[in-house]
Amino acid sequence: MLENTWNNIIDWFRDRSERARLVRSFNDSAKNSFVSGIAPTLLKASISKGESSYKHQFSNWLNSGYRIQAFTGRVLSKNELIHIGNVILDDSVLVRRLIVLGFDTLEIHGDAGAYGCRWQLKDYILLPKFNENE
Amino acid sequence: MNDTIIHDSIKVASKVITKVTETDDRTNWWMWLATFELGIIVYLILKNKLKSKIAKKKQFRSEALRQDIDFNNIINSSFNSLKLYDELKTRCHPDRFPTDEEKNLIAENLFQEISKNKMNIKRLLELKEEAIQKLKIDF
Repeated sequence: MLENTWNNIIDWFRDRSERARLVRSFNDSAKNSFVSGIAPTLLKASISKGESSYKHQFSNWLNSGYRIQAFTGRVLSKNELIHIGNVILDDSVLVRRLIVLGFDTLEIHGDAGAYGCRWQLKDYILLPKFNENE
Repeated sequence: MNDTIIHDSIKVASKVITKVTETDDRTNWWMWLATFELGIIVYLILKNKLKSKIAKKKQFRSEALRQDIDFNNIINSSFNSLKLYDELKTRCHPDRFPTDEEKNLIAENLFQEISKNKMNIKRLLELKEEAIQKLKIDF
């Protein structure tokens, strides 16, 4: 029991570092793409509150949203925001990683205000049912 | 006479009351012991089920964390994949090769792959290369 609690504490810290690494890797790639001219807009990933109704079995209690915001450069249209979201959701490895790290909401926001789109991550991957006996 | 009867009945009543409380105490103690035992049995039954559930979750987690993510491809695809997809879609359409059966078949397979990888610029570039080599298309 004590060992289990200790493992849970270690897992929690590991999760925190993995979440931060996922955000940092995205931001580094976005920055490099913007500087080299591949991307016309600078994207920035961050962790947000998320939508409580999108919860799944791996969801975090707090801050379960993965937000990508368009910063400098040109303003993105709604179709472009949807396309960015679809590209991310099309990558099954990334979606699985996001789910496992406790994210349940993907948010793509424009530069101005709270304007943006939101997706429920569990709709894009088949989550195994751990309660059922195989 | 009446006084002695009342006195006796009070004595008897008090004896009965003490007996009842004594037996109640004993019942409570046994009840708690039985509840504790039941708790242990339930824990032992659920332990294995919980263990397998946690193990499955851990396996799913470790598999998901093991794979690499190509963020450069994701960001490049976010801005440039649709343009390339539109170009490939029109240039590699099977209807462009109505007379050559072999090229028509290659174009059909390529077209299917292009549609499947609409959001993945890395794969689209590979397919473009394949189209240049196999279909002799000049982009």
